[in-house]
Amino acid sequence: MEFNRRNFIKFAVGGTGGILLSPLPWKLIDDIAIWTQNWSWVPVPVRGKFSYLNSVCTLCPGACGIQVRKVGSRAVKIEGRGDYPVNQGGICPLGMAGLQILYNEGIRWKAPMKRVGPRGSQEWKEIPWDEAIDELATRIKGLREKGSPEKLAAIDGNQSRSTMALLIKRLLSSIGSPNYMVMPREEDTYDMVNFLMQGSRGPIAFDLENADFIVSFGCSLFDGWGAPGRMLSASREWVKNKTYLVQIDPRTSNTASKADLWLAPFPGTEAALALGMAHVIIKEKLYSKEFIENHTFGFADWFEEDGVKHKGFSRIVLEKYSPQVVENITGIKGRVIIEVARKFASAHAPIALAGRGKGTLPGSLYEFMAVHALNALKGRVNKKGGPLIADDIPLAQWSDPEYDPVAMDGLKKARVDLAKTPRYPFSRSLVNKFTETINNSHGSPIDTLMLFSANPAFTIPDSQSFIKAMAKIPFIVSFSPFMDETSLMADLILPDHTHLEKMADIVWPTGIQYPLYALSQPVVKPIYRTEHSGDVIISLAKRIGGPVSGSFQWANFEEALKERVKGLYDSGREKVSWADIKENGYWSIPAHSFEGGSDIFQTPSKRFEFFSTEIELAIKAYSKGKSFDDALLDLGISSKGDEVYMPHYEEIKSGADKKEYPLLLFPMELINLASGWIGNPPYLNKTLFDHQLKRDDLFVEVNPKTASQYRLKEGSKAIIRSPKGELRVRIHLFHGAMPDVIFIPFGLGHTAYDKYLKGKGVNPNEIIDQVEDPLSGQPVWWNTRVKLIRI
Amino acid sequence: MEADPKEARKSTKGGWIFLLAGLIGALIVGWIIFPVLLYSEKSQPLTFSHASHGPESDAGLDCEECHFFYKDGTFSGIPKIKKCIECHEDPESPLTESPEEVKLFTEYVGPEKEIPWLIYSRQPDCVYFPHIAHVKMAEIECSVCHGDFATRKTSPPYKVNRLTGYSIDIWGRNIAGYKRNTWDNMKMDDCAECHTKKGKEDNNACFVCHK
Repeated sequence: MEFNRRNFIKFAVGGTGGILLSPLPWKLIDDIAIWTQNWSWVPVPVRGKFSYLNSVCTLCPGACGIQVRKVGSRAVKIEGRGDYPVNQGGICPLGMAGLQILYNEGIRWKAPMKRVGPRGSQEWKEIPWDEAIDELATRIKGLREKGSPEKLAAIDGNQSRSTMALLIKRLLSSIGSPNYMVMPREEDTYDMVNFLMQGSRGPIAFDLENADFIVSFGCSLFDGWGAPGRMLSASREWVKNKTYLVQIDPRTSNTASKADLWLAPFPGTEAALALGMAHVIIKEKLYSKEFIENHTFGFADWFEEDGVKHKGFSRIVLEKYSPQVVENITGIKGRVIIEVARKFASAHAPIALAGRGKGTLPGSLYEFMAVHALNALKGRVNKKGGPLIADDIPLAQWSDPEYDPVAMDGLKKARVDLAKTPRYPFSRSLVNKFTETINNSHGSPIDTLMLFSANPAFTIPDSQSFIKAMAKIPFIVSFSPFMDETSLMADLILPDHTHLEKMADIVWPTGIQYPLYALSQPVVKPIYRTEHSGDVIISLAKRIGGPVSGSFQWANFEEALKERVKGLYDSGREKVSWADIKENGYWSIPAHSFEGGSDIFQTPSKRFEFFSTEIELAIKAYSKGKSFDDALLDLGISSKGDEVYMPHYEEIKSGADKKEYPLLLFPMELINLASGWIGNPPYLNKTLFDHQLKRDDLFVEVNPKTASQYRLKEGSKAIIRSPKGELRVRIHLFHGAMPDVIFIPFGLGHTAYDKYLKGKGVNPNEIIDQVEDPLSGQPVWWNTRVKLIRI
Repeated sequence: MEADPKEARKSTKGGWIFLLAGLIGALIVGWIIFPVLLYSEKSQPLTFSHASHGPESDAGLDCEECHFFYKDGTFSGIPKIKKCIECHEDPESPLTESPEEVKLFTEYVGPEKEIPWLIYSRQPDCVYFPHIAHVKMAEIECSVCHGDFATRKTSPPYKVNRLTGYSIDIWGRNIAGYKRNTWDNMKMDDCAECHTKKGKEDNNACFVCHK
């Protein structure tokens, strides 16, 4: 009985058995797992009593209601507000990650800064606010003294109609500069569609909850389109109501995979598909006769007073967009087009939506018109479940600004971005043309550029051109709270608060059916030495003095905002006080007024115009002194005859040779990747899969068939080259990607921000070959020809 | 020289004793020594007797007197020192002869310092537990989760897991996790078990509690 090797083994076997029969290993596994969660460096919110504050998220135009949980003075969680009409408790990933925009000190400007080294060297000096505002005021005063106030320009990313946007615009006009520009946005295109076909300005709302048949021509309804919180609730309604969704998308996005029918036409041919559907509806007489006869203009052939005959929309569509022709253009089978058109026409409340991705970038004007024509064919305009004409929100108007002779002269000068000129009569602003004008000028027509809530050096297509233009502008002032690409190239930083530190408003959140005025309120005290840009503008105006000062009679931003809000009270429609709006966070009329009849159309014909009189007037005005064909060529329109005034399909031209660049680059937006001026928060980086972002490598989605032509495998490294430049990426094989198209997400490839963003992935905007949309002149993101090179 | 096979057999004879020794030794380690080593013990800053405060006592306080809900529905949890002072206000006229009350006066009531109670049922960070949903809406008795605290004369020692830092009452005092009463354990599975039993499976979704 000695303790030899064999007996030791027996002892060990007994011991192991005994341990396994005891709770020790199981309990230890559990404890060790918990132990790893409690390492001292794992961040946890402070303990303490909760308090909750309501506000509105202003990170996108969706304006979802948010509830911010606080412990003491620290905000610890953002959730969707359940008692708020837009999102009813839902919230998107970016909205939830908003705390990292507030508290991430690595991305924020902490005080006003003045550049001391050469531009871009990142040598800055912290200066007092007084000195910073004085410097800008002196510069603007100097421009006015020299009689060239138009040399001041502003690029504004704030929501249209918001008090902030109005203040900036007012500042420029009272100084005397016409060069107030907004960042390109989808609303621009819909605003033009609304104006040209319906005669009213402003957004078009979509009553998606009450529709029973939805054709989305590229809107990623479940991937962050509109107010994402609202779309979550709407999708529940659709399941309940058995709403039929047709998603048109070159890629199986989340939306496409959840749709009842997914169609993948060649990107850029959506207008032809819409008109192919129109062809079937017209040919089979499935349209609303009542609406077409009583409320539309240009549907049938017509004669001018002097006897000139015009072809009607119906004839052109019947002649040019038969299912067979459209099949050749789009790649969608003719019988499918017929089937979808019939289903659309036989639905009780069908709706057709135009747009791409999250619905934040402008689209092609004629395409949007073609899609909207489908709504008109069925007489769905301003009907329950249809596209709605926005009701007026009775905000009070400020008194007109004061203009002195300097300002009046300045305002008469042409805009640097050529918007609202005879060449681009319908666009409000064109940052892409602004860039082009500056790059083509000898010096810079702009002396001082101010930037608000925008990061064009990252988000504008062909961003390198914008950066080149910036280098030519003598003085750049950024009001960004973030150390983004654009502000790093500025000369003076006047940092704004972030969305959780400031008061702001959104007038009519994007796509909502009923009038809603949302008020965002500070939920924490400003963390750094930042100032509300609204207050800074008022203070700046006072320092510029004279009539500029007189136009800004308010003590601060809140007063200016309150003066507008007073209109809501005075309207008497919904008696609400300032205190009520502050407490609720919104003012709203819960229902849209569904009015029918021609009185809703403010076009020259007082009808819904298939034939746009405004386009006719504009093209005639532009062609004065030159041949009509030359004028069309200039405007980028390749069609001829009456079609140019109507929705039609235009093949978007690209300068690149198809043989040299055989593939198409299709940038896409993901719901969990911020792609606008807000840098993606680290929380969201964590939600990207390894086949989307791995370390610093961005993956593009390529169909296996296409990849095999280039001998590329999953994870292969490759270069995407366009005429504008190249990007190094890796390949993710995806059967849901259309062959010969490369899908690349927006939002990564920052050269600014902190270690969580800088150098991660690549930015498609760097190589987007900016093509101009015919007539509107808006940049087109979706038509860059590229080639793929294996490395 | 070759080993005698008989010798070899002899030396393994009775080997079962080693097997048994290993087994029993390991069982003792696993069931008795390990639990002792795993937890460190701390005593509460004061010995508090629920029995002498509760409804049955001379003091005759209702549970809600100290453990109340705020107006916004949040739960007050363990009362603050101010609540104690409402009765224990004058050190010159203590309410009992207990040396613990003297300690209460000198160390906490005098300097108005909060008593650093060790909380038996503290849940991990970022776990959200609304008392109001359970007590007011589901009408669950306190004792279902906390056991019969109301009649206790002393505060049991607070044992903390050396690895996780959590109170022993979360895993349960039984090292095997065996549970006899609903209040024995307070792990996630115990929450889920009750939700399921009451037909509230929806509340087992991650985001209901992990916020």
